[in-house]
Amino acid sequence: MTAQPSTQTRAAADSAAKPLLEVTDLQRYFPFREVQGLRMVKATVKAVDGISFTLRQGQTLGLVGESGCGKSTTSRLVTRLDEPTAGSVVFEGRDITHLKEHQLRSIRRDVQMIFQDPYSSLNPRHTIGSILSTPLKVHGLHKGKEKARVQELLELVGLNPEHINRYPSEFSGGQRQRIGIARALAVEPKLIIADEPVSALDVSIQAQVMNLLGKLRDELDLAFIFVAHDLGVVRHFCDQVAVMYLGKIVEYGDKKKIYEAPEHPYTQALLSAAPDINVARGIAPKERIRLIGDVPSPIDPPSGCRFRTRCWKAQDICAQQEPPLATSVEDTTSVRARRDRGLHLQACHFPEVKTTLVAEVPAEPVA
Amino acid sequence: MTATANAIPTQAAEATSVGDVVLDVQDLSVAFPTEEGLVKAVSNLSYQARLGRTLAIVGESGSGKSVSSMAVLGLHNPKRTQITGSIKLDGIELVGAPQSTFQKIRSTKAAMVFQDPQSALHPFHKIGKQIAEAYLAHNKVSKAVAEKRAIEMLDLVGIPNPKRRALQFPHEFSGGMRQRAMIALGLVNNPKLLIADEPTTALDVTVQAQILDLVNDLQKEFGSAVILITHDLAVVAETADDIVVMYAGRGVEKGDAKEVLAQPSHPYTYGLLQSLPSHSEDLTELKAIQGSPPSLLNLPPGCSFHPRCDFKSQVPGDACWTELPEWRPTPGLANRQIRCHLTDPVGTLQEDEGVR
Repeated sequence: MTAQPSTQTRAAADSAAKPLLEVTDLQRYFPFREVQGLRMVKATVKAVDGISFTLRQGQTLGLVGESGCGKSTTSRLVTRLDEPTAGSVVFEGRDITHLKEHQLRSIRRDVQMIFQDPYSSLNPRHTIGSILSTPLKVHGLHKGKEKARVQELLELVGLNPEHINRYPSEFSGGQRQRIGIARALAVEPKLIIADEPVSALDVSIQAQVMNLLGKLRDELDLAFIFVAHDLGVVRHFCDQVAVMYLGKIVEYGDKKKIYEAPEHPYTQALLSAAPDINVARGIAPKERIRLIGDVPSPIDPPSGCRFRTRCWKAQDICAQQEPPLATSVEDTTSVRARRDRGLHLQACHFPEVKTTLVAEVPAEPVA
Repeated sequence: MTATANAIPTQAAEATSVGDVVLDVQDLSVAFPTEEGLVKAVSNLSYQARLGRTLAIVGESGSGKSVSSMAVLGLHNPKRTQITGSIKLDGIELVGAPQSTFQKIRSTKAAMVFQDPQSALHPFHKIGKQIAEAYLAHNKVSKAVAEKRAIEMLDLVGIPNPKRRALQFPHEFSGGMRQRAMIALGLVNNPKLLIADEPTTALDVTVQAQILDLVNDLQKEFGSAVILITHDLAVVAETADDIVVMYAGRGVEKGDAKEVLAQPSHPYTYGLLQSLPSHSEDLTELKAIQGSPPSLLNLPPGCSFHPRCDFKSQVPGDACWTELPEWRPTPGLANRQIRCHLTDPVGTLQEDEGVR
């Protein structure tokens, strides 16, 4: 289930030693009471139901999937804004799964979050200076030189350091998101969880913010978990992609593998559903897989494979057995060839393995 | 309100066949007086929507795309809005028209599908009842007939088990189902024009594909005109026939949707397309447009886009700073109009793309 160090393509010598973040069989169930007829019945929403992944320093993992698939819950569990029901989150070798609030302080410094909506994630009554210096004070960083650090941060994210006394309302959406990014960076984190960081922004501003995140990632060697529903943005930004469906990872792997040779039917459907701008350039529209209906309720997910109710390949076995997340290639190739290909896991009884694409794909000739 | 305020609606020739103009917007300006000054949400906008065709109005938030379409259905408060210019829906002049005129045309001639079906549907009324009500308002039929019609409409938009679904409340529907119900509500009186304001923005991508397919199928069946308001250029590429690109309340480029996206001739359209991640898959940096859109309270003089434009230095003199560019055909391209001072926009942008 977990990404094996030996199969990482870009595993540098040092990072191969110890992963930054190890998530194993993570679960989060939300119990609640439901009225059924005249009785109250206990029920559970299985928001995240057993997911595992590993992240190394400087790596970027994209979490994609439709609303309700557990992307945001996962990011809240990893940051320990929420406590997992089962499973473990290990950050830098330290198990943080069930740490108490006061024990989480140091983790709060190393793991920061960027939120989706820059209008509600900044306190409207605080100046930018106060918003950005609060994390410094909490962690006792840059004592006595907070103002200088705040100005440095503003400059880092492309804002005018003289605006330190302004309020969030005086900034546009894109600028506010920059402030949110500066706040996350204030405490020099190692891992940033970005939950839909650009989806509330206009198209022309999205590109600016994406560029900023990319620049910061490379300069500061940050690891990212990037939660997004926009497949184009994830493709641009991430090294690894995990596709989630109803609380489970259904496909995990190198960006190139996921986008060019998706094996799980859900990934294929997701990719084919995204409209394609290249249609305007005379490129024939891709064959669209029409999924029927919506994502089933996570209260009572389908037995076996959770995607089977919408899957065109579903057979009897899909309802009886849950397919494990595993590699689908019956490997006759050498270990070395496998490593070069990168890790690619999927959870389907009938994956579509394009053997022709197993050979290294040259850089695509996009017009 | 203008001098035409009390003019009697003129009954010009009605649009009946594919390609006929249903909606003719000329020189439309919409402004909101506020304490800080006049917010010019839309300035001198002109476009036409034709039967059987989909017109995409594209722009960022605050570019006036929704405001202009709301004016078509008379959804602005006339006391707080200054509307000038002309909106002719099926020959009926709507600028300055009384509420009674709007009540007649809403749903029968033009209907709107909103972005968020959760807030556009009434939470206390059953879906079927809401659709039947819209039908009853314009048809002298019994309640039973209207309810039957509502069930038919739900069936038409692909809601399984429509009889049972009609008796449910909006909260019992999923997001995609609600948007389908919203479309059924919009089409119940067979309007000639359907305005879809970001109909899929709140939906997941697999559901978005379903809804766009549905709108396309229904358009083929009913032959109506569709105005698609969106910021998603990929959606435009796959669904629209014509396009108007808006920036800061003004149209900046219009023409055939696919042609415009394949070969933009206005620096703003070009910049938008360049900034898409799909355009630079393997580049480390996206080609962003610098700066942010201007305040509608205080538009820059000359071309509104000039503070963010990379090409203003290529225009002789200071026209970009002082002169508002007028609509003109793009040199070298058929069936295309832009508002830009560049002498050879196509060549300039092509050269830039080559360099990058």
